[in-house]
Amino acid sequence: MNAADLAAVPWWIWPIALFVVSFLIGIIAVLAGVGGGVLFVPVVGSLFPFHLDFVRGAGLMFALAGTLSAGPPLLRAGMASLRLVMPLALVGSIASFAGALVGLSLSTELLQTSLGILIIGIAFVIWYLRGADNAAVNADALAALLRLEGQYHDPAARMTIDWRTHQTLLGLAAFAGIGFLGGVFGLGAGFANVPALNLLMAAPLKVAVGSSGLLISVINSSAAWVYIHRGALLPLIVVPSILGVMLGSRIGALLLGVTPAPVVRRLVIVVMLLAGIRALTRGLGIWT
Amino acid sequence: MDLIKSDRALRELYAGWLDIATKAGFVVSLIAFLLYVARVLPAYVALEELPRYWALPVHQFIQATGAPSGWAWLAELGYGDGLNLLAIGLLGLVTPLCYARLVPALIAERDWLQAALAVAQLAVLLAAASGLIGGSG
Repeated sequence: MNAADLAAVPWWIWPIALFVVSFLIGIIAVLAGVGGGVLFVPVVGSLFPFHLDFVRGAGLMFALAGTLSAGPPLLRAGMASLRLVMPLALVGSIASFAGALVGLSLSTELLQTSLGILIIGIAFVIWYLRGADNAAVNADALAALLRLEGQYHDPAARMTIDWRTHQTLLGLAAFAGIGFLGGVFGLGAGFANVPALNLLMAAPLKVAVGSSGLLISVINSSAAWVYIHRGALLPLIVVPSILGVMLGSRIGALLLGVTPAPVVRRLVIVVMLLAGIRALTRGLGIWT
Repeated sequence: MDLIKSDRALRELYAGWLDIATKAGFVVSLIAFLLYVARVLPAYVALEELPRYWALPVHQFIQATGAPSGWAWLAELGYGDGLNLLAIGLLGLVTPLCYARLVPALIAERDWLQAALAVAQLAVLLAAASGLIGGSG
């Protein structure tokens, strides 16, 4: 369809289509263990007629809404650690704010090309990286000062696990970089948070996954305001996306126990590769 | 109070506020959206006109439609799109609200370092929300 054909489609088709796509992404993201934003931005940016500025704004709100609603149960179960999140979120939100400012000043072609490369790269990262349940580590001086440690009960393993983290400075630097990219591209960046917390800082995998969600909710709150003030949030795009992901995430959580996760994980990687290639070809002017 | 108990109490406090504020934000968003698409409230940019403009970069969209940016949308709450921006903004205020509740609890526990981090985070979030830095393009 060309631009004229797309403009002729009745307006109400688009929010319904967005709701359906967001609902499906909400289900798939939970099953695959990735943040929805990393699917939402490339998929909606490639298949819908909206400018990437509005898609990235909606992507940030999409990730924010999903993580805000997931936060309370994760905190109550001890899977998300406030003590771990607070210093990392502070660095990440400053970087994300800067990233949002940079992202809204870049050309569409450059953004599409960079987004394509980033999404293809993330698909490979998800393919290669596996979580690790780390042995106990010795906290570095900064981790000890910030008391980056905790305890949670793992019902699957039927044991209570004490944990602490290390390599705090590297972790802070990683979250500055992750926050910046998230702000530029409107991603929640859970794909990067979890390995940074788990593989770099040695937080247990479940604590890394839970804390990643809480981190996104804090970090995206600052970048979201940049998009609001710049006029880059269109309610007709944002609200159906938020409602779709909320419902989809709940269904995904219900299906979690009966769905073969590796199959879903491969599906996500294929979708990301296709969406990444589509964004790349649009950015390079090969296939607009 | 030992670290584990103190952490649990803080998590419960944050989770309780997060839960209520998020649910309220979603209900407000849903109601505002229904008022908008059911045309109970007029739209600043007519719904059937939007497809002509939403493929434009945001600065061209604003030029073409006269849509508000910065804090100007607060003067347009009588329109469906303006009211929806308020609802979206409320979701953006959930985290600052939870942090604001956390600060006195951390101070009461004399956890000065975490309290300082929370205050700094609150300052960053409020600076972003104020639009004073990078608020207009």
